[in-house]
Amino acid sequence: MITDKQIEPDVYPAHPTKAKAFLKGTLAIMPLTIAVVPWGILAGSFAIEVGLTPIESQAMSAIIFAGSAQLVALGMVKAGIGLWSILITTLLITSRHLLYAMAMRSQISPLPLKWRLTLGFLLTDELFAIANQGKLHKFDPWYALGGGLSFYIGWNLATLLGIVAGNAIENLGELGLDFAIAATFIALVMPTVKKPSILVCVLVSLTLAVVCALFEIQAGLLIAAIAGMTAGVLYAKVTQEAERAQQSANQLANTQAQARAGTESQTDTMTETKSISGEKA
Amino acid sequence: MIWLMIFSMAAVVFISRHLLLEPKLPLRLSKGTQTFLSYSAPAVLTAIFAPIVFVQEGQLDLSLDNSYLICAVVATILALATRNTLLTTVLSMGLFFVIH
Repeated sequence: MITDKQIEPDVYPAHPTKAKAFLKGTLAIMPLTIAVVPWGILAGSFAIEVGLTPIESQAMSAIIFAGSAQLVALGMVKAGIGLWSILITTLLITSRHLLYAMAMRSQISPLPLKWRLTLGFLLTDELFAIANQGKLHKFDPWYALGGGLSFYIGWNLATLLGIVAGNAIENLGELGLDFAIAATFIALVMPTVKKPSILVCVLVSLTLAVVCALFEIQAGLLIAAIAGMTAGVLYAKVTQEAERAQQSANQLANTQAQARAGTESQTDTMTETKSISGEKA
Repeated sequence: MIWLMIFSMAAVVFISRHLLLEPKLPLRLSKGTQTFLSYSAPAVLTAIFAPIVFVQEGQLDLSLDNSYLICAVVATILALATRNTLLTTVLSMGLFFVIH
């Protein structure tokens, strides 16, 4: 059983390798911190436009710290939609973080509570992208902290800039800062379309979101996203996508094993075990 | 009202991020739930950006005058060709501010 006290002396003093890891994390997330600036400006200025005070606008970024949920919630406040609908929508938007936490569980859950709370709070799409490098890499909490904290500061400074600009400049909305959302999300979604079922999911979600927006259906985001997810899952099931991918992976492994067996006679027994385990999987 | 929204939203977001990091929690997501959730990011993000791109002033706008649509197509091509988030975002937004 690891307690906080046993770990603490090791964590507390400022050690050069920790500072190095922190800096490395900060640098790794830097491109994403830059990309989030227009988006933060939008979050700040939009909050002012919707009628929040500057303190409330900043608090959204400082306390909630979830860009897409913040912007969608502000849109709903503007449309006069109630708190429960906002919270259900937030739950759907943020549900992907359950997956991130599960993927990072083996690395973060053995850490002391204050580390778990801090890294849990900072776990965004962006931090997950730089910190989750698979089980082969040794996980460094200071690297994750550097990435997460610098991203948090960047997001909040950009929000502050938006609050100041939103107070000073009329019609900031007409500049089209909302294109920053579209550009970022397109850049995040497109590389994930690796299977036909994800393409189906994206197309269904896209079509329904547009149709709902045209008919001014307020639950459009929920309807479109859940329908898209369901369509993707069903498509994968009907076409047996996972099984086929597994089969072709096995075939590839077998071919490789055979090729190795042909060239290296000494390792025959090893490759045989490999191809057998490949068939089993 | 706004403060209530901020704190309740923060609770929902924080719980979803922190819950599965807790070692004492015996909770595991089933295979089916995991598969379903793996479609959540593309579905949710698409449902947010699609109306921004395709709907202008309450109307479906598929014309070449829709700078959102033009730049979204450019962003899509860039994202697929380079798989680079920063390059895609910066170039497509640069183009957007020039033609909008």
